[in-house]
Amino acid sequence: MPPELTDEEIVRRALRDKEEFAHLIERYEAKLSRYLERLGLASKEDREDVLQNAFIKAYRNLNSFDPELAFSSWMYRITHNEAMSFFRARRARPSVVLDEASEGLLLEIRDESADASSTASFRLDSTELARALAELPERYRDVLALRYFEDRSYTDISDILEVPVGTVSTMIHRAKRSLRETLANRISL
Amino acid sequence: MTMNTNPHDAFAKKILDRIEGEHLAPRPRWEFEARNAAFWSLGALAVLLGALASAALLFEIANAGWLYSAATHANFALFLLQVAPFLWFLVLALFTGLGYANIRHTKRGYRYSITLILLGAVLMSMTLGTALFLGGFGEEIEEAIGDHPPFYRPIMATERSFWQDPADGLIAGTVTSVAADLSSFVLQDFTGRSWIIDTEDLDQNGLAAAARGGEVRVVTVPSTGTSTLHACFVIPWQKYGESHAMPLPRPLASFATTSEINRYPARSEICKGIRPYASLRAMSGI
Repeated sequence: MPPELTDEEIVRRALRDKEEFAHLIERYEAKLSRYLERLGLASKEDREDVLQNAFIKAYRNLNSFDPELAFSSWMYRITHNEAMSFFRARRARPSVVLDEASEGLLLEIRDESADASSTASFRLDSTELARALAELPERYRDVLALRYFEDRSYTDISDILEVPVGTVSTMIHRAKRSLRETLANRISL
Repeated sequence: MTMNTNPHDAFAKKILDRIEGEHLAPRPRWEFEARNAAFWSLGALAVLLGALASAALLFEIANAGWLYSAATHANFALFLLQVAPFLWFLVLALFTGLGYANIRHTKRGYRYSITLILLGAVLMSMTLGTALFLGGFGEEIEEAIGDHPPFYRPIMATERSFWQDPADGLIAGTVTSVAADLSSFVLQDFTGRSWIIDTEDLDQNGLAAAARGGEVRVVTVPSTGTSTLHACFVIPWQKYGESHAMPLPRPLASFATTSEINRYPARSEICKGIRPYASLRAMSGI
């Protein structure tokens, strides 16, 4: 893999020589597979299928890549859309599996909940968080996964989900509130 | 610079094999550019069609006869229901929505908020529509498009229908001849029927309007079964939004001030029995 080349340079080369596209696959394969897992694709085979389709789609649409966007955002967008198509086709509900990257969200929810009298003082662990995340509406789960598990900026999330930056901010705020409420309900049961 | 093309990892190789096996190639750039241009063009077309709707909308608002609503309708809500340009509001809203949908699908359209796109589309449509209206195209658009839907009647036809009711003291049309001593004139209404209008009770403004000729509105003493009508007020029929002139509508007669009303005294008391006399007196000064 040529570390000295930017993604955008490799895209330009891949348009002339398909072999070059392999470098982009190698650069993003692990990262996107982890993202798919966080989106709820638990099975490795399913993740591979979705990822393969996403890369093929990216290759076919390479000329539509807008160099003003980060290539990673564009690739995340395609992968995200493929994952959503997969869930819709299978009518499957994502099973959220959290890893160490969930720590950020866990801490934030815990801190904010401690200040809010209505949802105060509940014990929170990653298992509860995963269950609560799985219950959230798809758009909220997506935005939280990108912000807290993938560590993407608001602009990146805007480019990935194709919504204005202002909407991303609103969605994150609502998603966290919804998550806190879901967690509070689960704890009180 | 040469790239490392050594064997790739298994997953990358699998994808490359599939690309090779299925003879896949990147779709040409022009396809994406044409798609993007098509969405922008459709968005612009929607704004343009919205501008036509705006021009017709402004023409209707300007010519709805607000000034005479107190004379033509006992109930302002009913008047509003009959003249409000619902169709054009709907058409403008539809094209604004279409404009939004198309612009949203352009390459970077998702970056703009829905409020920004909708507001921008409405403002552009209204600005262009105002220019068309001021240029005198409002009526043509309103009648050309508005004539077709069976449930819709252009505003001038609606307005004329309000003034085709001598039994209620309302008649309008074209002055075809005036007596030498100004004691009467002949009015051909919009259906083609002729009426002799007695001007005995008109004030100076009414007489002047009759003498000038052209299209006029006449408020008469209500009467049936006769072709001679006793005029109380004659008011020139003004049309706003024509290419040769653009007078601004005057304030509603209902809101006319006392001093404005008293400026135009009637010559006798015979018309005082007809309804809203104060408003009509205010109108006769137009």
